[in-house]
Amino acid sequence: MQTSDWQPVLVLLVLVVAGVVLLHALSITVRAVREPLHTGPFSGGLEPREHPLSRFHVRWYPVTMVFLAFDMEMLFMYPWTKVVSAVGTTAVVEMFLFLGVLLAGVGYAWREGAFRWS
Amino acid sequence: MVLGDREAEESDWVENLWHAIPAPKARVEVTDPDRTADALDRGLTELAHGQLRGPAETSDHDHGAAAGHGEQPEADEHAEHGGHEADGDHGGHDMHTGHETHDEHDGHDMHRAHDGHDMHGGDEAHGDHDMHGGHDPHGGHHGHAGHDMGGLVDGLPMADRADDRDGLRLDRLHVPLGPALADWPAGLILRMALQGDVVQEVTVETVAVPPSPRPPSWGFRAFWDEPWLRTAAGERVSKGDAARRLCAAHLDSLGRFFAVAGWADMAARTRYVRDRALAGADAAELTPLVRPLIRRAGRSWTLRRLTTGLGVLRTGQARHAGVTGPALVADGDAHSRMLMWLDAVGRSAAACDETETLDLDGAEAIGPRGRVDGPVPPSQALLDVLPGLLEGTEFACARIIVASLDPDPDELAHVPAAGMLHG
Amino acid sequence: MAERTPLWAVFVLPALLVAVALVTAGVDAVLAAGARTGRPASLREVAVRAAGPGREVLRQLVQQPRRTRASDVPLARIGAALLPVAAVLAAVVLPLGFRSVSDLPDGIVWFNAMEALAWAAVWLAGWGPNSTLSLIGGYRFLAQGLAYELPHMLAITTAALGAESLRVGEVVDAQAGLWFAVWMPAAFGIYLLSAMAMAFWGPFDQPAGQDVAGGAAAELSGADRVLFLGGRWLLLVVAAAFSVPLFLGGGHGPLLPGWAWTVLKTAAVLAFLVWARRRIPTLRMERYLELAWVVLTPLAIAQALVVAVVVLNR
Repeated sequence: MQTSDWQPVLVLLVLVVAGVVLLHALSITVRAVREPLHTGPFSGGLEPREHPLSRFHVRWYPVTMVFLAFDMEMLFMYPWTKVVSAVGTTAVVEMFLFLGVLLAGVGYAWREGAFRWS
Repeated sequence: MVLGDREAEESDWVENLWHAIPAPKARVEVTDPDRTADALDRGLTELAHGQLRGPAETSDHDHGAAAGHGEQPEADEHAEHGGHEADGDHGGHDMHTGHETHDEHDGHDMHRAHDGHDMHGGDEAHGDHDMHGGHDPHGGHHGHAGHDMGGLVDGLPMADRADDRDGLRLDRLHVPLGPALADWPAGLILRMALQGDVVQEVTVETVAVPPSPRPPSWGFRAFWDEPWLRTAAGERVSKGDAARRLCAAHLDSLGRFFAVAGWADMAARTRYVRDRALAGADAAELTPLVRPLIRRAGRSWTLRRLTTGLGVLRTGQARHAGVTGPALVADGDAHSRMLMWLDAVGRSAAACDETETLDLDGAEAIGPRGRVDGPVPPSQALLDVLPGLLEGTEFACARIIVASLDPDPDELAHVPAAGMLHG
Repeated sequence: MAERTPLWAVFVLPALLVAVALVTAGVDAVLAAGARTGRPASLREVAVRAAGPGREVLRQLVQQPRRTRASDVPLARIGAALLPVAAVLAAVVLPLGFRSVSDLPDGIVWFNAMEALAWAAVWLAGWGPNSTLSLIGGYRFLAQGLAYELPHMLAITTAALGAESLRVGEVVDAQAGLWFAVWMPAAFGIYLLSAMAMAFWGPFDQPAGQDVAGGAAAELSGADRVLFLGGRWLLLVVAAAFSVPLFLGGGHGPLLPGWAWTVLKTAAVLAFLVWARRRIPTLRMERYLELAWVVLTPLAIAQALVVAVVVLNR
């Protein structure tokens, strides 16, 4: 059962990737001028002074930390959904205490202005 | 499509854009408003039948008399407007090939062309997907990275670091924005220093316009200011004409504002109404067109939330800089400036049938961007305040601030102060 | 529990999704043109406008491709292709009526995992071309992800909690009586928001926004552009369609067969999203993120708590 569940997924993956490759092939055969046009990046007609690839100023960096905490929490929450009534009240109390602690963290981050930038 | 003078056509950025547009393409140059439709047709034919490998060029600039056509704006508008619509249809059918000929955003520039108002050096009209520019002179040297001089990759250095507003030392990019960008004041160039998407420093420039050999006619001067400029020169202009032009100018600005704010439907509708206003619709037709726009934009809670607090320009600061238009009266942020526009659009749409003579001492004396009879054109003052408002903002906010002030580089084109402006 | 479909369904699924995406894009194009000039004059005009997205695909394929200087072509190419691949793979667990291509035991987690691939896809497509505007677009999507993803995950877990199963078929079965949308309205609303956000479409189109000349898609051309922008529509369709088994009772409904209900409900959700897009300007993340964390996340948790209590007392 387990393997046959995934079999269509695998077939589909192969199929879609083949579709992507076919589309590229189609585009190569039908395009008007085959060799690509080499050009600079667009910003309105003038050239930038440096290569745009750079260490990007990620001002929402603190949010990523808060997000990471919650993302970990989701790992617990998925399996938890399957056992709520089996385990009973304790499961609900524990999960929402945990979420409450994380929410307190969100509150703190909010007060510190982590969700505001610019 | 290139609109404008021969000299301007040869400027770098136009060439850059032309080279950056992928084939199949055709270039149409329009200098004579009367022959716009002809030139477009020729461009289409070329796209349909021309050889696809080479750049197909059509030019249409053997008309020394072009200047004269700006003298009859109303008539021209009517005639040419029809031509434009017809061509739009053409473009629709020839979508596979003709992407340069049909464009919704640049209706504005179309009107300028129709008025013989082609002095600002040429405009590229393109669909959304062809907004690419910048030609790399070393384009053929891909894969040769490292063969160049020290520190250069493909002829360009990597970004260097500089202190940022938060006290960090981060990579800084120098990026020119404009002159040909969708929903951007045509001809404006902002040289930005960006850190991530934060604007750190801004220098304002406009496209340099070579001095024109032709006598300056009204069509040549800033299109949106025309009724006021004529009055200042002693011609008789009716209040209704001024109101109509004001209404259209603000609708034009609002169209850009909505488009930059990501409200495509409102932008499209606003531009449609602008075209109606310029095509001579009377107050009875315009008012019902304008009213739902004003209501929707004025009441939009999301738009208010998204644009409040951006680019706050207090009256004192604005007056000091010499701003005289709606931006002065608004006394606030991008949202309040938008509300000023909406308000003015409503009033001027109702007034566009008035036949009294416009008088520069009256309440209607102020043009779309400010007083035209001041020492400097109103847009100059807007450009002067721009760098201060942009520094430290995020890219998207910066676009909204520019759109909310909407300086018109045309106004600067024929005064001695034109050219480089440092803020 | 959903029945298994024969293997040929694997071939039908992508074709069906592409067809739905084209129709949705066509409807959207007709509405966009209508917003400009009012009602279309004739049926023919409607057809011409609706065919717009299809023509655009052909035009992109025929056009000469562009390469920006020192761009990382494979990177951008992978990014662009990842979007449609992820969308179609996520659709594996979508039941049409009560049959899905494969009703995985952890279908909801699978959907979540596939949809999260968009983070990588958009960033790669934005970084690859070595262009400032597309770089900004790529990073914008990461900020957007931080804003929408958490309320979104809480919303879909809430639906799973209501059925006490991660299998999509069982979630549908649990709604034979009452739809989840009725007693978990907050989760449903949040899900709809995040459906638009994950497809960076409509009010959440900032990563590919007009103000950055197309953002992450600014420098893509040819097949890459078709895959990226088409993948975005696919993702929107799949996300909208997934709200049907999660919250709208899947194939359950009177009179009509299950598959018809699925189609109807999906069409309704898509129509709502296409309509909503017309009403709202683009939400900028530096304003939305605060709302997402301070309002939507606690709201989603409160909703989960209510559902958990109901489940306990069932």
